[in-house]
Amino acid sequence: MSLSWLEAQMAMRARILVAEDEALAAMAVEDELQEAGYEVELAFDGQAALLAAQRALPDLLLTDLRMPRLDGSGLIRAVRAFAPGLPVVVMSGYVAATDADGFRRMGEGPVALFAKPLDMDALLAEIARLLQR
Amino acid sequence: MHTPPATSSAAFETAPRLAFAADIAVGLACLSALAMLATIVLLRRDLFDAWTGWLLGGFILSAGAAHFAGTEAAAASVSAELPRLTLALLALGAAAALWSRIPRLLARGNPPVLARELQKRSAAELRAREAEARAVQFLSHVPEPLFVLRIAADGAVQVEAVNAAFERVFGARSAVRAAAAQLLPPALAAHVARRWREVVVTGTPEDCELTADMPSGRRSWQVALVPMRGADGRVERLLGSARDVTANRRLQEGLVQSARLATVGTMCAGLAHEASQPLNAATLWLRRARQAGRTLPETERRSFVQAAQVVEVQLRRAGELLQQIRALAGEEPRDVAWFDAAEPVASALRIAATQYAADAITLTLEGDGVRLPVRGSPPRLEQAVLQLLSNARDAVQERRLREPRAPARIEVVLHRAAGVVAVEVRDSGCGVPEALVGRIFDPFFTTKEPGRGIGLGLALAASIARGMGGGLTTWNLPGGGACFRLELAMAEPMAMRHPDVAVLA
Repeated sequence: MSLSWLEAQMAMRARILVAEDEALAAMAVEDELQEAGYEVELAFDGQAALLAAQRALPDLLLTDLRMPRLDGSGLIRAVRAFAPGLPVVVMSGYVAATDADGFRRMGEGPVALFAKPLDMDALLAEIARLLQR
Repeated sequence: MHTPPATSSAAFETAPRLAFAADIAVGLACLSALAMLATIVLLRRDLFDAWTGWLLGGFILSAGAAHFAGTEAAAASVSAELPRLTLALLALGAAAALWSRIPRLLARGNPPVLARELQKRSAAELRAREAEARAVQFLSHVPEPLFVLRIAADGAVQVEAVNAAFERVFGARSAVRAAAAQLLPPALAAHVARRWREVVVTGTPEDCELTADMPSGRRSWQVALVPMRGADGRVERLLGSARDVTANRRLQEGLVQSARLATVGTMCAGLAHEASQPLNAATLWLRRARQAGRTLPETERRSFVQAAQVVEVQLRRAGELLQQIRALAGEEPRDVAWFDAAEPVASALRIAATQYAADAITLTLEGDGVRLPVRGSPPRLEQAVLQLLSNARDAVQERRLREPRAPARIEVVLHRAAGVVAVEVRDSGCGVPEALVGRIFDPFFTTKEPGRGIGLGLALAASIARGMGGGLTTWNLPGGGACFRLELAMAEPMAMRHPDVAVLA
């Protein structure tokens, strides 16, 4: 394999930033996403995630809501400030699946909402759909 | 020879003549006074009583006669003087006796004073009547039912008077003189009868709260009873007032319920979140385990896959439970769009009809055909109604176990009134036991055996109703069974947005 092909491959792989403070869950999600062919960067709290996003903007943000230092909504608001069109997927133990409206009205813009425990297949499908655009 | 004493003829002429004239004059004056007296006595019997009249008459007569007799005394003989003296003494006696009558005379009513008294009394009566008229006006317009009960000597209680508000509330047209028991619903009448007897016996005013199932639902009143004693000291009347405190009671109960739910809600939200973390990790790692298990040899792989499937199903069950708990914890976000409540209700009934087809329960839907605009989420309303239908079906089936011939009916009634849209689900089941009415909407409260529902259904329905600006209440129906009433705030459809047209909120 030539380097250009590798580079091309790497260039085609979408980057997903995962913000999740539960280490076990974060690891498992990272595994799943990598299996599906994505490049994954992990952050264990909102602040770290924001810094990572500022350093290198991801193609998609997958975030928990309850995190130390900077919570999910704060993170989303901050990232949307410099990357308004960024697709965001929220996974949370707090919200019911029907609460997407709540997010829209809080001004965070459209998000995909997944309740914990995660339905991984559905999550992967949604991520693929969002990254197609 | 005895000659009369010589007196100067002039002296003899003047003095006795003057005396003579004086006596005649006084005598005449007395006679006229007598005539005056007679006139007064005849015309105004009320001024002098008999004895006073006689004595006064006697006095005047004697005095007058004495003076007349005095004229005879010019003869200056003892025989002439004697009558005069007698008459004079009689006059004196009469005058003396008269003194004893004077006090009584003085005590007699004075016409001008009497007239003033009369005027004062009629003015006071007029004021009293005006005050009474004002009081009657006031009482007849007071919105609280007021009633006056008359207690007969044998203890029987009759309604003496009621105000307009009483007639309105209890629908009594000819309330007066009816037996009180006839006017009120039986449960209320029995309750009130007990209270009355206590008040009649103790004689002290009493305040109590009464609750009864009326056709319009369960209502509570604050009833005050005030005993009034008659002249013989016995409690003769009871003045009563009844204030409808249903709204207050519901508000209080609502507050208590909210406070409890706030705690439960917060707990639920916290619980759901905490539990979701390990559950999430377990679910995700199970997937990894399944991936890893692919490399196992055939037989081991089959048993492993089977085991993994069992674990996955259980984890999913736990996940669904968390979903339900979460739904309970959060109130629905207010949706801007409005919809016709009749649609989700009808759709819920269709689903129920299919699900309960084998149960031989009659399902009916009654509505005015008018639109029922509400704000919220149609699927949530459908969920709430389905929950009530499921509850109703359980009640009907439970009753049928004990009474196989019992009617099996579930009626859904839709109507709107005064800014509220109501969805009532009435069943012909066994009703809700009194003691449980207050707890039936509590989360995790269930009367079913374990494994048959965790008691979130009604709580969820109540939460959905609250999220749509209303609430859920229940009461038992007179013919057996219970009614669950979902109240939703009626929404005014907003005008289409147009830059020139103001939005009608």
